[in-house]
Amino acid sequence: MFRFISKFWESFKEYIILSVLLITSLIILSLNQKPEVKKVRSAAFGSFAAITTIVSDVIDISKIKSENNRLRRVNAELMIQVNKLREYGVINENLKKLIGLRDSLDYPLVPASVVSKALTKSQETITINVGSREKIRPGMPVINDQGLVGIVYSTSEDFAIIRTLKNFDLKLTVKDERSRIDGIMKWNGDELVIIDVPKTYDVEPGDRIITSDLSSIISIPIPVGIVAGISNIETGIFNQVRIKPFIDFASIEYVFVVGIVPSKQKNDLELNFYNRE
Amino acid sequence: MRTGYIISLVLFFPLLVVQTTIIPLVEINGIIPDLIMILLVYYAIKYGQVYGTVLGFVYGFFFDLITGSLLGSVMFSKTLTGFIAGYFSNENKRDYYLSSYIFPLIILLCATIDSYVFSFFSTIELSRNIFISFFEQGLFPGIYTAVISTAVIIFNPRKSFG
Repeated sequence: MFRFISKFWESFKEYIILSVLLITSLIILSLNQKPEVKKVRSAAFGSFAAITTIVSDVIDISKIKSENNRLRRVNAELMIQVNKLREYGVINENLKKLIGLRDSLDYPLVPASVVSKALTKSQETITINVGSREKIRPGMPVINDQGLVGIVYSTSEDFAIIRTLKNFDLKLTVKDERSRIDGIMKWNGDELVIIDVPKTYDVEPGDRIITSDLSSIISIPIPVGIVAGISNIETGIFNQVRIKPFIDFASIEYVFVVGIVPSKQKNDLELNFYNRE
Repeated sequence: MRTGYIISLVLFFPLLVVQTTIIPLVEINGIIPDLIMILLVYYAIKYGQVYGTVLGFVYGFFFDLITGSLLGSVMFSKTLTGFIAGYFSNENKRDYYLSSYIFPLIILLCATIDSYVFSFFSTIELSRNIFISFFEQGLFPGIYTAVISTAVIIFNPRKSFG
């Protein structure tokens, strides 16, 4: 018996080891949502990010001059826009006072820089140098001057992992700024698309897409991209709207974390609506 | 030989730093080369199939833990790839594989399989054409990694790395 086992092991040990390790990987895959696993992951990427910060700081130094030039130009353009918006704001305040409308809150912005990136075609995550110490929590949106970058996925004390829009797990409710039509946007591995848009809906190439206030993830309007085209699917009654994001994900260096988290009260209300008991 | 085992583990971490900080700067349409794959295949050919399989498992575990991807996804694909790379481990041909044009071809095969298998953990987009997915998610990353791996042949010191 022992000889048989020994012979069997000698003949097939590579396959046995492969099977055991693959099964172990699949078991670990199923444990991803456990709080203990998340804690270990936070500690691991926090430690690693401290090292990548040093390397990315060195790389950033070489890009500072071109970044400064770009920011000066953006500043000038924003100054013109801000002046216009200031005028609209004054008019808006007066109108709101007239109808007694409750004002929106100001959201805190936490600046951060990107210390490492994990890029694949199907999934992109970035690590930033702020974490729970700066009151960053999972679920907070991350933006830069161009628009929405992604959502905070996991935090350690000094660092956080962000899942960018180029991520299969992220599905976001967005709105066409012109026609006010809402839809679900997701990443299909190749581009951002708004799925299941009825063919009768008014969506045109060039329309600006922003996050929708119906979203339980991000309920404030943040620019996402523009409509690049509409895939006219011949069968069925729905189209697919292709979105070109404002963000160049490959060159993100500096971001801001918006200090809001999904509204538990809103989510609970929505669940109650669908609770048929 | 034990020194070689330790070096293969120690080399992983600085290479991962490079992979996550410098390599994204050379991305082409969202595709980047996988330096960890090159290291894995090198040591799988050098030390055999069992070692390659276990090393892939370890590399994948640390990669998942550190970069925030689904824990177990890269583990699965790198374990499989280490096993496949180990097929090319042959006492008589080892040096030839590691210092000739065969090495990038092995890298191409392994990196393609690794990227394609990993993509299955990232998507359940069943409507996408499986052949197009193979090219986008598997072959193109594999080609890029294979091109970078030619540097190993050029700079391969035969008597170092254990």
